[in-house]
Amino acid sequence: VILVELLLHFGVLSLISFGGMPAVMPEMQRLVVDVKGWTTPAEFIQLFAIAQAAPGPNVLVVSLIGWKAAGLAGAVVALLAVCFPAAVVSWVVADLWERFKESPWRTAIQRAIAPLVVGLIFSGGYVLCTPETTPDWRLWAIAGATIAASLTTRLNPLWLLAAGGALGAFLL
Amino acid sequence: MQVTPPRNLLELFTGFLAIGARSFGGVLPWAHRTMVEERRWITQADFAETIGLCQFLPGPNIGNASIVLGKRWFGVSGAVVAFLGLMGFPFIWVMALGVLYLEWASDPVVRAVVTGVGATGAGLFMATAIKLGRALVRKPAAVALMTACFLAVGIGRLPLLLVMPVAAAIGIIAARRGWL
Repeated sequence: VILVELLLHFGVLSLISFGGMPAVMPEMQRLVVDVKGWTTPAEFIQLFAIAQAAPGPNVLVVSLIGWKAAGLAGAVVALLAVCFPAAVVSWVVADLWERFKESPWRTAIQRAIAPLVVGLIFSGGYVLCTPETTPDWRLWAIAGATIAASLTTRLNPLWLLAAGGALGAFLL
Repeated sequence: MQVTPPRNLLELFTGFLAIGARSFGGVLPWAHRTMVEERRWITQADFAETIGLCQFLPGPNIGNASIVLGKRWFGVSGAVVAFLGLMGFPFIWVMALGVLYLEWASDPVVRAVVTGVGATGAGLFMATAIKLGRALVRKPAAVALMTACFLAVGIGRLPLLLVMPVAAAIGIIAARRGWL
């Protein structure tokens, strides 16, 4: 039953995931933690951390969520559910995109989506640092330092993740 | 620049495998390095155009790029092979780390370190949003839409299925009027 739920919920999420995974993180958290209770808020940020530290597209966090909810089958189902519907859309649109290069609708849609994506990605970070209803200042301290470092330097994010982990050991 | 697309499915597979296996800290730079610099499958301009399309489409960006490029070169089998190549190594990595984490999750220090990494990841998201948002701040309609999305989804925790169609409709109307 959980496998079917994973398939349906993540499948729908796939179709509205404009801006990629960061943009649907808030919805993912709402669904997984608040609605279904598959993980606690603290576990959610930890699963997210594991996916960040591993190589590969950050979409892989969904396979950890699927794994937590329904074992190895859950991991595979969750990943495919998130990727397949979007893949079908890509498949179809790849050809249309060229044909509508000059269409005013193409630019209108692109411009309309951009601010939504920014708002949603920011929400993703906000929600992760606010696991309960009140923001956790220690998480925000680490996130704030990361924002500052990422905007002012060109370090590989891996170094920032390592530094954040070390900071976590002291603060949390 | 002379470019040669992958000649067979095996080349396609090993190329995407190489991207996935090395992509610590972000896939995009490795995709660029592998496809444009090392293997010379596509030109720089073509790569940028493809990634631009995939960032606009729903779904994981690089995942979509593997579908679009795999399709272009070898049809359905190309799309499947490229996708599997891309995800293969990282999937194993993530699951292995997940198992390890479960072993050690009861240790408070491990939990603190992992949570710290998570908070850093959250910070990276917000930094990305700020970088992308900088280009839009001079348009009041764009700022209003960004803020509204954040208030609805981040603070209000409203379902995205509700927010997305409404915000997209408003956005398209605003864009058609030249406000965005």
